[in-house]
Amino acid sequence: MNIIVCVKQVLDPEIPPAKFKIDPEAKQVIPPAGVPPVISVYDERAVEAACRLKDKNKGKITVISMGSEKAADVIKHAISMGADDGFVLCDPAFDNLDSFGTAHVLSKAIQKIGAYDLVLCGRQAADWGAGQVGSILAEMLGIPVVTLACDIEAAGANVKVKRIVSDGYEVLEAPMPCLVTVSSEIGMPRLPAGMRLMMARKKQVPVWKAADIGAEAAQLDKGNAHTEITGLSVPSRKTECEIITGATPAEAAANLAAKLANLI
Amino acid sequence: MDNYKGVLVCGEMADGKLAPITIELLGVGRKLADELGEELSVLLLGSKSGALGQDAIAYGADNVYIAEDSLFDTYNSDAYTMAAANLCKKVLPSIMLFGHTDIGCDLSPRLNGRLGGGLSMECSALSIDPATKLLVTTRPVFGGNALATMLSKTARPQMATIRAKVMPPAERNDSRQGKVIPLEDKVDPSALKVKVIEKIKEEVEGVKLEDAEVVVTGGRGMGTAADFAKLRELADILGGAVGGTRVACDEGWVPATLQIGQSGKVVSPKLYIAVGLSGAMAHIAGCLGSKCIVAINKDNEANIFNVAHFGIVGDWKEILPAFTAKMKELKGK
Amino acid sequence: MSPVSATYLGIPGYVIFWVMFLVTMGLFLPRAYFLYRLMCLGKQENRFDRIGERFKNMFFVVIPQWCTLKSVTSKDFAGIGHAFLFWGFSCFLVSYIILIGISEGLGLHSYIRGGAFEAGFLTVLDIAGVIVMLSMIWAAIRRYIVRPPRLEISLEAGFIMFMVFSLMVLHFCTESFGMAALGETHGLPPISSAIASYLVSTGIEKDTLMAVSFGAWWLHYAFILVFTIYIPRSKHLHVLASAPNVFFKPLDRKVVLEPIPLEALESEEPPELGVSKIQDLKWKDILDLYACAKCGRCHVNCPAQASGKTLSPREFLRHMKDHLLEVGPGLLAKGSNGNGEATTEEEGKRLVGDVVTEDEIWACTTCGACQEVCPVNIEHIRKLLEMRQNLVLVHNQMPESAQLMLRNMQTRGNPWAGAQSLRLRGDWTNDVEVKVLGESDENPSTLLWVGCTGALIDRNVLATLSLVRILNAAGVDFCVLGEAESCCGDPARRAGYEFQFQISAEENIETLKNFNIKEVITSCPHCYNALKNEYPLYGAEFKVIHYTELLAELIKQGKLKLTNDMNTLIAYHDPCYLSRYNGVYQEPRAIIDSIPKARFKEMERSKTMTFCCGGGGGHMWIEEQHGTTKINHVRMDEVIETGADTVVTSCPYCLQMLEEGIEQKNVKETLKAKDLVEVVEAAMKQS
Repeated sequence: MNIIVCVKQVLDPEIPPAKFKIDPEAKQVIPPAGVPPVISVYDERAVEAACRLKDKNKGKITVISMGSEKAADVIKHAISMGADDGFVLCDPAFDNLDSFGTAHVLSKAIQKIGAYDLVLCGRQAADWGAGQVGSILAEMLGIPVVTLACDIEAAGANVKVKRIVSDGYEVLEAPMPCLVTVSSEIGMPRLPAGMRLMMARKKQVPVWKAADIGAEAAQLDKGNAHTEITGLSVPSRKTECEIITGATPAEAAANLAAKLANLI
Repeated sequence: MDNYKGVLVCGEMADGKLAPITIELLGVGRKLADELGEELSVLLLGSKSGALGQDAIAYGADNVYIAEDSLFDTYNSDAYTMAAANLCKKVLPSIMLFGHTDIGCDLSPRLNGRLGGGLSMECSALSIDPATKLLVTTRPVFGGNALATMLSKTARPQMATIRAKVMPPAERNDSRQGKVIPLEDKVDPSALKVKVIEKIKEEVEGVKLEDAEVVVTGGRGMGTAADFAKLRELADILGGAVGGTRVACDEGWVPATLQIGQSGKVVSPKLYIAVGLSGAMAHIAGCLGSKCIVAINKDNEANIFNVAHFGIVGDWKEILPAFTAKMKELKGK
Repeated sequence: MSPVSATYLGIPGYVIFWVMFLVTMGLFLPRAYFLYRLMCLGKQENRFDRIGERFKNMFFVVIPQWCTLKSVTSKDFAGIGHAFLFWGFSCFLVSYIILIGISEGLGLHSYIRGGAFEAGFLTVLDIAGVIVMLSMIWAAIRRYIVRPPRLEISLEAGFIMFMVFSLMVLHFCTESFGMAALGETHGLPPISSAIASYLVSTGIEKDTLMAVSFGAWWLHYAFILVFTIYIPRSKHLHVLASAPNVFFKPLDRKVVLEPIPLEALESEEPPELGVSKIQDLKWKDILDLYACAKCGRCHVNCPAQASGKTLSPREFLRHMKDHLLEVGPGLLAKGSNGNGEATTEEEGKRLVGDVVTEDEIWACTTCGACQEVCPVNIEHIRKLLEMRQNLVLVHNQMPESAQLMLRNMQTRGNPWAGAQSLRLRGDWTNDVEVKVLGESDENPSTLLWVGCTGALIDRNVLATLSLVRILNAAGVDFCVLGEAESCCGDPARRAGYEFQFQISAEENIETLKNFNIKEVITSCPHCYNALKNEYPLYGAEFKVIHYTELLAELIKQGKLKLTNDMNTLIAYHDPCYLSRYNGVYQEPRAIIDSIPKARFKEMERSKTMTFCCGGGGGHMWIEEQHGTTKINHVRMDEVIETGADTVVTSCPYCLQMLEEGIEQKNVKETLKAKDLVEVVEAAMKQS
């Protein structure tokens, strides 16, 4: 099976909430000092899904990431988990692309890689969380898409996908080639194993620019962006604890419940 | 871009009626349509769709597009995308609204990809910019740490998904007039690539801890396993999950997989109710991301009160029953 | 006339003697060779370096019996009994060679018997015999009547005691009856003579006396031979294996794990990492299993055992030895070599999982108490850690809490990440005057290595700030890495994630080299141990000291003056990695001693015999299993017993564990936990 996994390098989502700072002018988050960026949580699950398929069937996993040159780290992380190869897609033209622009770049890279049976993506990015690139990419590639997978199995010319729904799950069958977006219900990704960890460190990850993949200027033009961000703000958080009282404990309890009415 | 007009709601049906989310979307859709001076339409797919046409009109729709085909009775991504895309290419809606539901989350990005529009998911607010007449959406980013406002200058349709209970439902007015229009294009079943083989309803013992919107956690102060079990009652009423501090797990009152804290799970629900726990930093680390933390503890100097938003100083044995009862009452409303 | 020169039912004694000897050898030698071949199943390891030192170790541990005398306490002085037993029985060993082997077996008894030598030697034997008998009586009373927790009520131990005691009895019979028969009741040997006199006075026939003497002699000989056959088939194998085990002990005891050689991994057929089958152990590990005498010292000093976990160092060694003997013949038959080519599917039980359970493997805090008290220098810890390596590196199997921590180390560079810390790595530098490398022009060559805990966890940051203020006040020129500091790697290594440790080590050494750092001060003993003892194996060349060593020196030099009265009773909890692993326990005491008006109560288990706080071996993150209690609660009881109002330590893990214990034991009104720097700072005059 030839599997391509799309991964994104994001700012660490697990920094202390108090350290989260934004630049409202630039509409960007200010990276916290001394905290390395990490692979997006759902994308890591996509790599895990690919590795599980590779464990059971023979195959090759190629990982691509659109980002800065540091994105090589997430490619290496994927390789240390079990991926075979990877490419970073880095070009000033790729900065601040919206979901469509991103999907276009990824689709061009995938076409350059060549034959594939399955494309895996995380269900949404852990930073901006737009949640669309996978589906748009599938449309651009002209292949079927199944979203929110918690389990993927190869079944001949098809994949059998278990999909999360609000009250349980569905099992679907999709013909390959197709795209599947992966959710965290797939479980914990494997810890990069010993030797692969050392091997991945030494890997040289090639960088592809816009010209290398034949990305179309019109698609990369910010003026043609489908969506743009017009503002970024941090909602204010109260940390003063309001102690609720009452004539009796029961009354205090009722008063407290009333305070919380709009949250339930 | 200028020939795109109107608001189209992707409707859903549940138990033979319009789903509550659809009624909410019709409410906000009506407002947006009125501000634009344009029409509100809704798309209903499924064999029961015809019967609900009048309901949709009563809730504010000017046009109800239906496809009374049993092919649509179970959600199929390919089928819905095809049907919706065909309609959109004919009707050219300026704005499309979806619920942030199983259907909406799958359909909207796909449709967006097919139509080349601009989509914002999980919006907490929608408005029309008076000057530009563009749809401005507000949505949480970075795990809820920040809010972004977005718009689509030229891409059409402008699309948004909204979670249930974020928008108020539409007011019903049975005297309203409108049109029920069956879809022209049929979807060819043989063109559907992805097949649904099985649907499994999961008997989950309560909500999963990491995903729960409400978490009720108990600590050492609960005292016994039987007492700890009282938290489940509150959690069930609120549709939430139960968690425990390290002490509670050590005591065996709650499985270790439900431990919240430094070496347990980290949760960030909307509401976090901490009962009978002192709030050691090791535990706090697991729940600080919660939107609202409520603490019930005997000790007014307990650390939990340093991070809680609301609290009561007192014995949980005297407070919890009344609290649970009142919450039940409020939830029922 | 000697027992051997007589004839029995027409058969010459010599024939009987040698036939018995050959039969014994026929049963002893193949078995011993079998055990040797089993040992060779283990992987290669060079323990033949520094031979002179090794011989010295062996002689100075075994002959003066330091092995058991080192663990004598007022509550357990059985080591003295063993020492006397050993010395006494050694005399007998010599006598077996001379008086039995040479004198009788080779028929040279006329040269040996009769004369000053015999009289002198037999006198020594007499006294030795009494000592051995008394030690056996003491041992039996202790084991079967007093029943201390560390001794087992086993048939094996009973049999050995019976054999040894009987040998003594038979020796006295042989000598005294023989002397009585010959009318030799003169002074030497004293006890046998006394018995002989008595026997003479009974008027028993001379021939009878001689017959009894001969009988006793043969019985004695038979018992020795039976004992010989028994040795390689029981725990008494330790008499053969213990001295070699001391010879082959690790010369640098602080390094419990050897780094995995990477070149081997890049070969065509890389070996499996860590230990999953018995033949994955090194040969020295197998020798350890032979050397164990089941004395139980490790068992009673293990914090996991003390808190009711399933792990017992003694038991898991026993299970491994049993497993080795069970699967060994099969492995030898398949002709497997140290690369573990033979499969063990047929053998049924897996070493990791069945023989040693995962619970046991993960329960160890690597405190080192087992290795400290083991009389024969068995290396318990590395066996468990190498099993962890196999589980983590090959099978991706580990407790969930361990996986979270390891993932954090791998992605984020420290074990505390996630919502566990409310701080960023460099935040603490904003609260105190300190030179951060790279931010100022100055580049001192002394670095304070703060450690993950000291930088990220609120309670421990207080100690870091205290330390920095103290160093500033004493005029020490140093810098810190600030946000560029990343984990020393110790938690990864202790949890079996060896390669992450190696990556961390290489990166940190590179960073320190780039900044030209010559000396590192650490505040965390785990960082201390890693940087000082393990990093040199990866090329580190800087000097490493713990802050207690520095502060003690500064106080001695008068650069640090403690002038404020601290009216408090202090108990000091020695961190395992500082006192036991690295022998740093005088310095903290010297510091406490310099605090005016502070009183000090030594804890019962202190210095190199300190009791673990439960935080080592990755256990600050790995969930403690359900035992009867928690390790830090056991230690807390000991602290409370001292009656101290301040418990002081110099390790961030210990501090957290002690504070948790204080909270759980509900004594925070009367007892506070402090890092030593906090007490020192409070004793300094505020400027």
